[in-house]
Amino acid sequence: METVKEMEGSKTDINELNDTARRIRINLLKMLTNAGSGHTGGSLSAADIVTALYFAKMKHDPKNPKWADRDRFILSKGHAAPLLYTVLAECGYFDKSELMTLRRLSSRLQGHPDCKALPCVEISTGSLGQGLSIANGVALSGKIDNASFRVYVLLGDGETQEGQVWEAAMTAAHYKLDNLCAIIDRNRLQIDGAVEEVMSIEPVVDKWEAFGWNVIETDGHDIAKILSALNEAEKVKAKPTMIIAHTIKGKGVSIFEGKVEYHGIAPTKEELEIALKELEA
Amino acid sequence: MEILSKLHAKNLVQWAKDKPDVLVLSADLTSSTEIDLFRNTYPDRFISFGVAEQNMMSFAGGLAREGFFPFVHTFAVFIYRRAYDQIAMSISYPNLPVRMFGFLPGVTTPGGATHQAIEDISIIRSLPNMTILECGDATDVETVLDCAHAVNGPVYIRMLRGEIPRLFDKSEPMILRKSRQLSRGNDITILSSGICTEEAIRAVEALKKQGISITHLHISTLKPFNDSAVLEALSANKYGVITMENHTIIGGLGSIVAEKMAEQGTSNKLFRIGIKDTYLHGASREYLMKEYGIDATVLIRTVEDITDFRFNITEGDLKKVHIAPMHSDAKAEAL
Ligand SMILES: Cc1ncc(C[n+]2csc(CCOP(=O)(O)OP(=O)(O)O)c2C)c(N)n1
Repeated sequence: METVKEMEGSKTDINELNDTARRIRINLLKMLTNAGSGHTGGSLSAADIVTALYFAKMKHDPKNPKWADRDRFILSKGHAAPLLYTVLAECGYFDKSELMTLRRLSSRLQGHPDCKALPCVEISTGSLGQGLSIANGVALSGKIDNASFRVYVLLGDGETQEGQVWEAAMTAAHYKLDNLCAIIDRNRLQIDGAVEEVMSIEPVVDKWEAFGWNVIETDGHDIAKILSALNEAEKVKAKPTMIIAHTIKGKGVSIFEGKVEYHGIAPTKEELEIALKELEA
Repeated sequence: MEILSKLHAKNLVQWAKDKPDVLVLSADLTSSTEIDLFRNTYPDRFISFGVAEQNMMSFAGGLAREGFFPFVHTFAVFIYRRAYDQIAMSISYPNLPVRMFGFLPGVTTPGGATHQAIEDISIIRSLPNMTILECGDATDVETVLDCAHAVNGPVYIRMLRGEIPRLFDKSEPMILRKSRQLSRGNDITILSSGICTEEAIRAVEALKKQGISITHLHISTLKPFNDSAVLEALSANKYGVITMENHTIIGGLGSIVAEKMAEQGTSNKLFRIGIKDTYLHGASREYLMKEYGIDATVLIRTVEDITDFRFNITEGDLKKVHIAPMHSDAKAEAL
């Protein structure tokens, strides 16, 4: 296992990124409350990871979403769509006002990401367990084509109970997909309760290492550490990297943190007020 | 009759020679699906997955998104039963040009219920964007690749392997969305698909000698189903329409034809020969065809019932079929 070095980036960069992540949390909660339904907990837990990717790590161009050399991001845990939409809007892929159409009739912002409706969404997801395999296919395509892009894929920890995930884990190592970096949002909760109680996935690090991956554990809410992990991953050759990002489901709002019941419900107006007070403080 | 062996193996290698974007995907059934020669010839275009069909399907979606043409090979059951959700969401919903080769349709394997694909057409045809093709002879197997590759979307192919008879002239390829007319007449319309066509040909030959006038069409495109020659033949007959398929009558060719006849307002009767809402069991293909009522004699009995004639045609009056040995060099295993 790698130890994570401090990120080279300046304090102001990190402060800015933290501020961006804070704005993203605010906007995604507003959007969820406005829609009246959607996944709160898993969107908040992954907010710092996805912010780090889109605002500091990935090569991408909001004016050209299908740019061939772009780094690919695949949200395998598709129910965190509110987070993805908010990040994409913040990047400038579409106007932030559209966020208020989440889950509305004929909106491009479907409950789960729909790449046909919204071209800046790389892959439609929502049926768990398929993202890593697709990412492998994309990554191997990159190898065959000698392309420079990297592929990032975000999985839920509960999602890794799907057998397909482990089939994909073998494949990525077998084909030495070092242009692939997967991240597990290790928030320790799924729908029925604690992952360890519903179906244990431990020892997570040992499992992925045994499957031939370079494994890095990091604090999934410390953007500097997330970025050093992502940079570390890029240096490793002949192996895919798995970043186990330790997170808190509902992170950023005390009343949602670690609460399994906020997995798939949107905040009420009252809860939103409390949340905004905390986040804007 | 000419019998060809391991046709797909050689044909695929030849066909894919100048098509670098065609990749072949395998889930631990490389020899069994006749892609071992491809693997040996183009190792860089062969992707092995081990026993991991769901993973393979979505991976194919990833490749197809990036401009490749994945040719997925496994037994049919492991395509649509094991990986149905992956086909739907990774391939058919984004309408990607993945070609799925499903081997061992229906009674063509003694492998029992786990290996016998009896409801693949029903399942797969209910997915939007899918095209479904089925091979009935050596010429079909040789030319199905061009048909499949002409489709700008996902294609499921009901494939044959091992020793295969040539029923259709080598110079007459399978044509996408077109049936093959094997006989023309006005008493009865027979629509057959897959390996049932050989049985139907045997029966029709004998029936014609008895003075019955028959239109016989071989169906290779099951979806979309809009060949005008077929649609016209549904009403152009005196006694009715008979469908014959190596598949459950629930959702397969018989159902497709029933839907078309109802929609067209065809008042003729329809008789569906096929597997009758039951799982099969392990036995030879010849036995299963007889046991489950999808061979030439059943077709003759059906025609007798419809027309109220009795023909006294016996097994001996029918042309012999080639019975492939259970074990041979033409097959990787006795399945
Ligand atoms: C194949 C499949 N089965 C079930 C579901 C329903 N589902 C949605 S989210 C979820 C729990 C996911 O838990 P986890 O991956 O830990 O996500 P997170 O806690 O990060 O939100 C389930 C079971 C699904 N989307 N897909």
